Amino acid sequence: MRDFFADKNRRILAIALAVVIFVAVMGAMGNPWVSSAFNYMTKGLSSVSAAVTSAADEKTYDELVEENKKLSKEAADLRTQLVDYYDLKDENARLWKYYNITKSNPDFQILPANVIRRDSNDEFYSFTIDAGTNSGIELQDPVITENGLIGFVSSVNAASGKVTTVLSPDFQAGALAKKTSDNGIVTGNSSYSDQGLTTLAKIDAAAKIQKGDIVVSSGIGGIYPANLIVGKVRELRIDEYDATKFAVVEPYEDIKKVTDVVVLTDFKNKGEVKQAATGEAR
Amino acid sequence: MERRFTVFRFIAYSLELLLLFVLQTTPSLLPEIYGGKPLLMIPAVMTIAFMEEQIPAMFFGLAGGALLDFGYSDTLGYYTIMLTIICFVISFIFRDYMVVSFLNAMGFTALITAALVSLYFIFFIALAGKGGLMYYVSHYISRIVYTIVCTVPLYFINKFLFRNLMDF
Repeated sequence: MRDFFADKNRRILAIALAVVIFVAVMGAMGNPWVSSAFNYMTKGLSSVSAAVTSAADEKTYDELVEENKKLSKEAADLRTQLVDYYDLKDENARLWKYYNITKSNPDFQILPANVIRRDSNDEFYSFTIDAGTNSGIELQDPVITENGLIGFVSSVNAASGKVTTVLSPDFQAGALAKKTSDNGIVTGNSSYSDQGLTTLAKIDAAAKIQKGDIVVSSGIGGIYPANLIVGKVRELRIDEYDATKFAVVEPYEDIKKVTDVVVLTDFKNKGEVKQAATGEAR
Repeated sequence: MERRFTVFRFIAYSLELLLLFVLQTTPSLLPEIYGGKPLLMIPAVMTIAFMEEQIPAMFFGLAGGALLDFGYSDTLGYYTIMLTIICFVISFIFRDYMVVSFLNAMGFTALITAALVSLYFIFFIALAGKGGLMYYVSHYISRIVYTIVCTVPLYFINKFLFRNLMDF
């Protein structure tokens, strides 16, 4: 043994081994300073290794182009799904509103429709809806929203219908002030249509109607059902031509911007005047 | 001044070991063959030991073994002790009793690599109940062969360094 360690190299080997074994035992016993020291020393190497790994993971140009195409397609699909989602969400909200309309008016037969076109030449803000005779729409069917009456179907074809709004002088419907029962005719006026306002004309001079009163359809004539809200009285004026009183009415719906509506295809007492007239003629 | 080239040579060996450590520990840099990656430190320190004196050979064995051990786990152990001793012994043998040649180097490296890796498998895998013979065949044979193949370039690199960075 003494001869073995007589050699200087062997002594160094023995010392080196002793140190290594000591460190190994310390490490095996869970002493963290060995691994901590080594990790500290090799931190730079690990950074190099990580950088190389990152570089090795980088994709080629062709792979990136391919991946870009794939991701673009996925993004387009997701956008379509998102649009579908918003459409469904809107439709759901709309149907809830219509559900409330039919709930409070059980005799109403309604047909939801979307505004697909607005006539830019029409200063009374008429518009076209995506429902026509194929959907069961007829001429003069009332058109409403959850905020009240907004117009009637003035022309119709198989797939679409044109709606004349309450802002137009062509619109004429019997109406009354709900609070005072003063009646008149709701009709548009070129002086107010630009402001999104209509009028309740032909009011009796002695009428007690006041600013803020709610105006509803009277139901007389059988074209519009009774109690459809038209708007509220904004001001009262005198017609300069025939000296009658009229009220400027502000609809609750923003007719210039409305995008979805409901057509009343049937309701109680619909067309009773027309039917009566026809019966008399027979 | 007299040992200037020796210092440069040792620095070159050290850089080589560090480079091989990065190569070995970087995922997806060296391709796996049948589930095995080469243990580059073994042929590197052994080919150094073929040419160097005992003490430098021993320290490079120790350094290579430590890098191998820390590559596997966070503690010194099996490869550090074994390579320290093996490099010391190889240097002793090749300085006094054998001639350094490519065939000798390949033969020694193959034999020692196979023995080292197999013993590692026996002590740390088989006896620990982590795997059997099939696991050895499917993972360790390829590792041994892959490591032996890597001896070829490392032998010539270290021979080049030894001859060109030698103090006469």
